[in-house]
Amino acid sequence: MSLAPLELKQVGPKHLGIVWNDGHQSLFNVRNLRLKCRCAVCVDEWTREELLKDEMVPSDIQPKRIESVGRYALKVEWSDGHDSGFYTFEHLRALCECPLCKTR
Amino acid sequence: MLFRSKNTDLTPEKVLEKLRTVQDPDLHRDIVSLGFVKNLKIEGDHVRFDVELTTPACPVKEQLKAQCEAVVKSLPEVKQVEVTMTAHVRSSAQQANRIALPSVRNVIAVASGKGGVGKSTVTINLSMALAAEGARVGLLDADIYGPSIPLMMGTLDAKPESREKRVIPIEKFGVKMMSMGYLIPPGEPVVWRGPMVHGALTQFLSQVEWGELDYLLIDMPPGTGDAQLTISQSAPLSGAVIVTTPQEVSLIDARKGLKMFQNVKVPILGIVENMSGFVCGHCQEVTSVFKKGGGEKLAQEGGVELLGAIPLDPEIADTSDSGTPIVAAQPQSSVSVRYQQIARKLAAHLSVLTLKTEGQFKPLSMEWQ
Repeated sequence: MSLAPLELKQVGPKHLGIVWNDGHQSLFNVRNLRLKCRCAVCVDEWTREELLKDEMVPSDIQPKRIESVGRYALKVEWSDGHDSGFYTFEHLRALCECPLCKTR
Repeated sequence: MLFRSKNTDLTPEKVLEKLRTVQDPDLHRDIVSLGFVKNLKIEGDHVRFDVELTTPACPVKEQLKAQCEAVVKSLPEVKQVEVTMTAHVRSSAQQANRIALPSVRNVIAVASGKGGVGKSTVTINLSMALAAEGARVGLLDADIYGPSIPLMMGTLDAKPESREKRVIPIEKFGVKMMSMGYLIPPGEPVVWRGPMVHGALTQFLSQVEWGELDYLLIDMPPGTGDAQLTISQSAPLSGAVIVTTPQEVSLIDARKGLKMFQNVKVPILGIVENMSGFVCGHCQEVTSVFKKGGGEKLAQEGGVELLGAIPLDPEIADTSDSGTPIVAAQPQSSVSVRYQQIARKLAAHLSVLTLKTEGQFKPLSMEWQ
């Protein structure tokens, strides 16, 4: 069975918790998540140049809504109006900020 | 509900104990622990019960029925056994509120990568074969530029009605259908860029009144572009079926189609090889017009099953062109029997997959507070 999230949880104003189907639990700082967006607006499709710069993202950015895309990704609508980014489950898991994943 | 009868030693427990020896060959568990036995009633020496399968298109339905009858009859207290086979199709992905198609239990994409392999013909006949088994079936023509369902299903003049901003699908041969062909004048081309295609498909998924369906089959257009992405993203697909003809030039695109579904985590339910040899009407000799073994090769490479092969047969083209597909026009023909077998295999695969992956995937949505 392929990796998929089973539960999304808001943890305080700045963190998103995800429970995965393999039992792993992730905690993400939401601003870091916004900065890792790989959509065509944030990363140039041809050159892979990072178009989204740290200073362009408000310090108090928050998701407004998060929902599944088919069976493979999550879509986030952000408080700055950005809504074109998909986070594939693999990408999201690779971004996990828990101490175990970070030291890997 | 279990009713204990009064004047005999025959108890529901005794009957269930016997039924525990009957295994579902696909799920590898006995039918009692699977919860298939329902409405068990004992009246004197007469036993009645339902066996509720996970699909009406179960390939071993008759076998199971005979087995159930035999094991219960082996009880000395039993004179008569009445088994009713029913089905409750489970949903492969629990539907979240805002996601399209809440009343559809399983959405199956039929795709090929390459055009011209007979995808629409296969999709139509499979949907009718599933309906013939008693399943509630819908058929969505996702080929916006080249819709073929209206012609093949003899519904060229049909115009869907709408009620409260919902479009009512066209119904024929026991199948509910929607196609771009119903919405534009016949013969008119659809000259659209990608985003318009996306919009039309999204509406087909969200604004068509499909009602309760066990299976919605989506006849995909060729390629791996806008339409495929929209479908993969808008609905939690239960799985995909890949149609190919046997030769390499078809396989090369079919591989890409297969890979695309794997990339978006849609399970591949199997391969159908179409135009698989021509059987001579006079001497029955098989001519491999498009080489041999392509479907098998693709199935092996992709680690998936070959669901079956459909030969080249002029009757298929004739029946499709005349608007009564072969499964309806000639249900006893060898081609129709093959379609029936493929439909049963497909339904069985999906049932197994659903049970195996239960609780492993769930569409999610949340509002940030």
